[in-house]
Amino acid sequence: MGLTITQKADTLGTYRFILVRFMETLAAWVPTSPELEVKTLFGRHIWVLAQHADAIGHRTVELRAKLHYDRAPQPPYLSAMKMLQEAAASGDRIAALYDGALPDLARRVQDYLAHTDTLLDAPTVDILRRVLADLDRMHADRAEVSAKRADLRADAARVNAITQAFAAARELVEYREGVTT
Amino acid sequence: MIAGDARRTKDVRGVTLQQDPAREAVFTVVDTDAEMQDWPGMSDQSRREKLHRHMNNEMGALEIAAQCLVDFTEAPWALRMQLARQAADESRHVLILQRRLKEIGGKEGEFPVANFEWGVTGMIDDLPGRLAVQNRTFEAGLIDLLGVLRNKWREAGDDTTADLLDGILADEIAHVRFANRWIRTLTEENPRVLLQVAHAIRLLRDINRRLAPEVGDTNAVGIEVTPDRLLPPAVNVDGRLEAEFTEEEVHEVLRQAGFRSILPSSSPTRKKEAAR
Repeated sequence: MGLTITQKADTLGTYRFILVRFMETLAAWVPTSPELEVKTLFGRHIWVLAQHADAIGHRTVELRAKLHYDRAPQPPYLSAMKMLQEAAASGDRIAALYDGALPDLARRVQDYLAHTDTLLDAPTVDILRRVLADLDRMHADRAEVSAKRADLRADAARVNAITQAFAAARELVEYREGVTT
Repeated sequence: MIAGDARRTKDVRGVTLQQDPAREAVFTVVDTDAEMQDWPGMSDQSRREKLHRHMNNEMGALEIAAQCLVDFTEAPWALRMQLARQAADESRHVLILQRRLKEIGGKEGEFPVANFEWGVTGMIDDLPGRLAVQNRTFEAGLIDLLGVLRNKWREAGDDTTADLLDGILADEIAHVRFANRWIRTLTEENPRVLLQVAHAIRLLRDINRRLAPEVGDTNAVGIEVTPDRLLPPAVNVDGRLEAEFTEEEVHEVLRQAGFRSILPSSSPTRKKEAAR
């Protein structure tokens, strides 16, 4: 991959932007989802995502960007995020987030890890590995809730459209112009 | 400020409150204390109702913290982190109380619920005001109430519930403390924040004055409101001090709770036993 320091900061800033917006999406869903199990699933995961955003935000300053630097992703990914935010039924929200948006983000993080120098970039690698481990834990929490609330069905077509929108957003990071090293 | 103008409201006896958050149909949502089922003592039914009510109140606290994250995206990140943590804490509290409710034979929807705190805080358009009302007033009141309830459950022989309430109490102290710290910080940065806090507290007082139950009212199960049932719970002096209320503030709470005549003019901690 051979990213410059600035490009690495932009990548992390983009991850942070996404994590904060996902946190806000969950927060918006808490009062508007009727089911206790769903509210509390989202409520617990608000904090998980906030911690990820916080850790990444402290790393960006080490990469010569601002503390808690964040950067909007490319427009197709932003569109997918908007579709996710607009999911209204609890079943759709759960499926779109845990089967669509989060696995897509995990794949992008794994791709970053696969291409970076894990020694040179070790502090970032440590943070992103923790993020991936927490995402696994979030999926386990979701599985527990879905087992308890099998009545919460998703509209497959609607969820698929959201999942596809994330997958179709091939390029994620809007790198700054005039990159300096 | 609140993003957009999506607030939906309801009218409760001439008072405008934010419309209720989403609840499953199994819950009967009511607007006033008079419609709640509240039994004195620690009968089986009363125990289930207490846990059921508390569970719904924790759900409301979760919803309020979450809504603050949505409405105040420009707030300092460190404060948003505290709200995110609070959302997770309140989620755990809901699940803990749901589990205990089921263990003692209760179920969701067994009793009416009200979302008064959500209704009030949603009418406040700034974060310092919401922190002052939700964390610094409602949750601080919960510090007092949990101190009393924990002891009641223990005296009734239910150490399991008492221990759970003790754990929840520790979390609530942390929620009040961060609100106290942030209100101080924000006020130091901008003294006008005090006006927002004062406005929010005035709103709460006005709503309470118009909706609070009065002596002689009866609730949904025919229990009459007597003067002793309107008394605030004993002030949890230690808990409030841990939550970083100043000694003067605790002193004022004790004074308002009716301990004026026995209070010294100095530290309230000397009289904390008297408040119990």
